[in-house]
Amino acid sequence: MELLKRYLQAVGEHLPRRGREDTLAELRANLESEIEGREEELGRALTESELAAVLEAHGMPVLVASRYGAQHFLIGPTLFPVYWYTLKRSFPLVVLAYAVVQLVSIFLGSGSADDIGHQIGTVFGRFPGVALTFWGIMTLGFAAFEYGQGRFFPKLTLPRWSVRDLPPLERSEGKKHSFANGVADLIVSILIVVWLLAVPDHPYLIVGPGAKILHGMPFELTPEWHVFYWQILGLLIAMIPLKAMALVPSMCRVRGWLQLAVSALGVMILVAMVQMRTFFVAGSAVSMESLHSIEGINAGITLGFKLALAVSLVKFAWDLWKEISTGEHRRADYAAVL
Amino acid sequence: MDSILKDVATSTRPSGDAAGGELFDSLRLELRRGCLVLAVLAQLHVEHYGYTLRKSLADAGLEIEESTLYPLLRRLETQGLLTSEWREEEKRKKRFYRLSVEGERIFELLLAEWNRINDSIGRIVRKER
Repeated sequence: MELLKRYLQAVGEHLPRRGREDTLAELRANLESEIEGREEELGRALTESELAAVLEAHGMPVLVASRYGAQHFLIGPTLFPVYWYTLKRSFPLVVLAYAVVQLVSIFLGSGSADDIGHQIGTVFGRFPGVALTFWGIMTLGFAAFEYGQGRFFPKLTLPRWSVRDLPPLERSEGKKHSFANGVADLIVSILIVVWLLAVPDHPYLIVGPGAKILHGMPFELTPEWHVFYWQILGLLIAMIPLKAMALVPSMCRVRGWLQLAVSALGVMILVAMVQMRTFFVAGSAVSMESLHSIEGINAGITLGFKLALAVSLVKFAWDLWKEISTGEHRRADYAAVL
Repeated sequence: MDSILKDVATSTRPSGDAAGGELFDSLRLELRRGCLVLAVLAQLHVEHYGYTLRKSLADAGLEIEESTLYPLLRRLETQGLLTSEWREEEKRKKRFYRLSVEGERIFELLLAEWNRINDSIGRIVRKER
């Protein structure tokens, strides 16, 4: 019976301390009866191999013990969908917060281009650790909530809900709104603003090492840039809260209008660029040939912006019409449901 | 009661294991889970300890692994459906289980539910054929 004792000892190691002796005593009584039953069938005592077979059939000690545990999961089936939803929803926000904090710290303490490259590398390298920490804290928090409910506070009950509170029907045409895309768009917008803010003090950020080449060129940026720079920057900054608002779930009904407002700001940026007309002026010691070149460049850029403005205006009008017609459809669908 | 256990045993006999494969095993396990509780409660109208309960269920055609049955008894006792007491029998102390008053009540409700499901499945299967 040494094998039986060893088996019970192994099971006992994995049982909760509370009630362990009681469980082991019961298990011993049942296994002894089982062994006796086999011996009665065979009319003789079991050999060691036969005894081992009986115990092995009963199951691996750690698994047997685990079945006596009160809870076999960190987060139960009721809470898990809430946990998963929270994780999915909040992860892009963690990426966003991390990106903003890191960008601001790079911007405030930036030195040379090499330094910035190194810092950006460090930011990417640290992110897996931040993501894992976030996941660990969320999981631990939910596991603690799961453990505590029913013990320290009432169990989670699902809130009352109405089908009428659900988001309106998505139109089949066009892209479906994606939260991750929205966050990515917001991050890129912030990056562009930070980049534009950094450009006056760090001109190499425009074309990197190529900035040195520009110094040797027979033309320079027109002073008008100073005026339009702030106009464009202001419009880009105004886009950020609109894009952030579009990410808020409760704003889903006005998301289309928020996106239209962002598009309108984009159109205004192009209007500002078209108004500029002269982007480059001749520098000192410029030849007649270069003057013609600058004129051609300015005309080309202006034409490009005019074309872009025309396309943007058409697209804006199309989106506006779609939003208005979608709104009418929604109202019609709602009336049909009622 | 015996007819119920025979029904359970017939429906869960592992004759289709080889043909069904992993998916069948998983679905069968799911199907058996609730049936086992009903069968255990039904059998504990009469007092049993773990080993004899397992044997009596096996004799009725319902095999349950020890490592499933013994923790199940503990759980049902914790839920107030069973009562237990340690008693010496054949020079060995054993823990005997039987239905509690609450267990009797819940068993009757579960049995009625089981019969409803059984009748419905029977009607659906007959209609299919």
